[in-house]
Amino acid sequence: MWRSLTYLGAVIAGSLLGLGSALYMAGLWPGANTLAFGNVDVGGWRADFSTGSDAADPYTRARVARHGLLALAKSEAVYLTRTTDDAGQPLSEDCSYRLTGGAMPAGWWSVTLYDAKSMLPANTDNALSIDASRAGAGPWEAVIASERPAEATHWISSRNAGNFDLTLRLYMPDPALLEAPAQTLSAPRIERLACGGKA
Amino acid sequence: MKRWIGPLAVLMACAAATHAAALHFAPSFIMSRAMEALAARGIALHRFTSPQRVTPQSQSVVRSSPDLYYALCRYDLANPGTQISVRMGAWPDYQSLSFFAAQTDNFATIRGTGREVVVRLLALGSAPEDGAIVSPTAKGVILIRRLAPDAEAFAAATTAGQADSCRITWRDRIAAPSLD
Repeated sequence: MWRSLTYLGAVIAGSLLGLGSALYMAGLWPGANTLAFGNVDVGGWRADFSTGSDAADPYTRARVARHGLLALAKSEAVYLTRTTDDAGQPLSEDCSYRLTGGAMPAGWWSVTLYDAKSMLPANTDNALSIDASRAGAGPWEAVIASERPAEATHWISSRNAGNFDLTLRLYMPDPALLEAPAQTLSAPRIERLACGGKA
Repeated sequence: MKRWIGPLAVLMACAAATHAAALHFAPSFIMSRAMEALAARGIALHRFTSPQRVTPQSQSVVRSSPDLYYALCRYDLANPGTQISVRMGAWPDYQSLSFFAAQTDNFATIRGTGREVVVRLLALGSAPEDGAIVSPTAKGVILIRRLAPDAEAFAAATTAGQADSCRITWRDRIAAPSLD
């Protein structure tokens, strides 16, 4: 009897251990980090260029299914995600930020804000992203804040976002970007301006 | 000590098997749940459904872009005698026609060149044919993306989308030789 119970306990404990470790390692654990993972890191923007392809390992495939379902393979688009500002602090609705960048090595690009559940934040500000068509060809700047700033050409609203992340989409990427992302991409910078009303 | 070797081996074997199984089935499970959610929101089988502009209130898939027009068509090619005939209407700006398998892989993408695109999707195990793509799984999703970063462009993309089509047909009727 004791022996049977021991083996039954081993089966249950082993199954729970296997399931929990898989969910954790694949980013499926509740509250786990989103798409800010992978072997590509350009100025804090993270990506895995195997996303969407059959070359993706099981962990990547599971994570993308949860946080980036229907993502395109790298020949058509790459996705880089960032969860922290330039000082390494988590991006938060309680703070405001200046997002700056320039031309991108792609046919079209955008930066979009998502909450911790990988969804657009629940607000009606109609200010969820900035893209190449609005930013223009040269250097550009946008303010990320929970309220529309008095003076800013472009605003991305973080209202109701909590701790959030930003995803940089690069459609029709230049081949050089896929070959050497760190040398090819001048990634957008994120400077924290103020938190809780304090600079 | 020896009496724990057996249970410990069972524990490790169960952990490894469950770990591998969870990773193997998670993508298709998540995809299946997402497709059920889309079906509940009116995304039809074998038909492109006119999309709403992506907003926090209308979003149904994680990390959708508010700057893109998305038209989805769910497909089921469980019957090997069938195929999906897909047409992507003309659009002057960026657009693409992409195909996703049940385990979420993006197994094919055709980038628009401004002109209409017509292609057939064949069932798993079909021989390759010109003008056709073979699906690696019986079920999946076909997705048209169009660049539409504002309401005006989205309205224009919706008009262009009237030329899109996604329909299931019998292969023998489509492939029958012409007598002209």
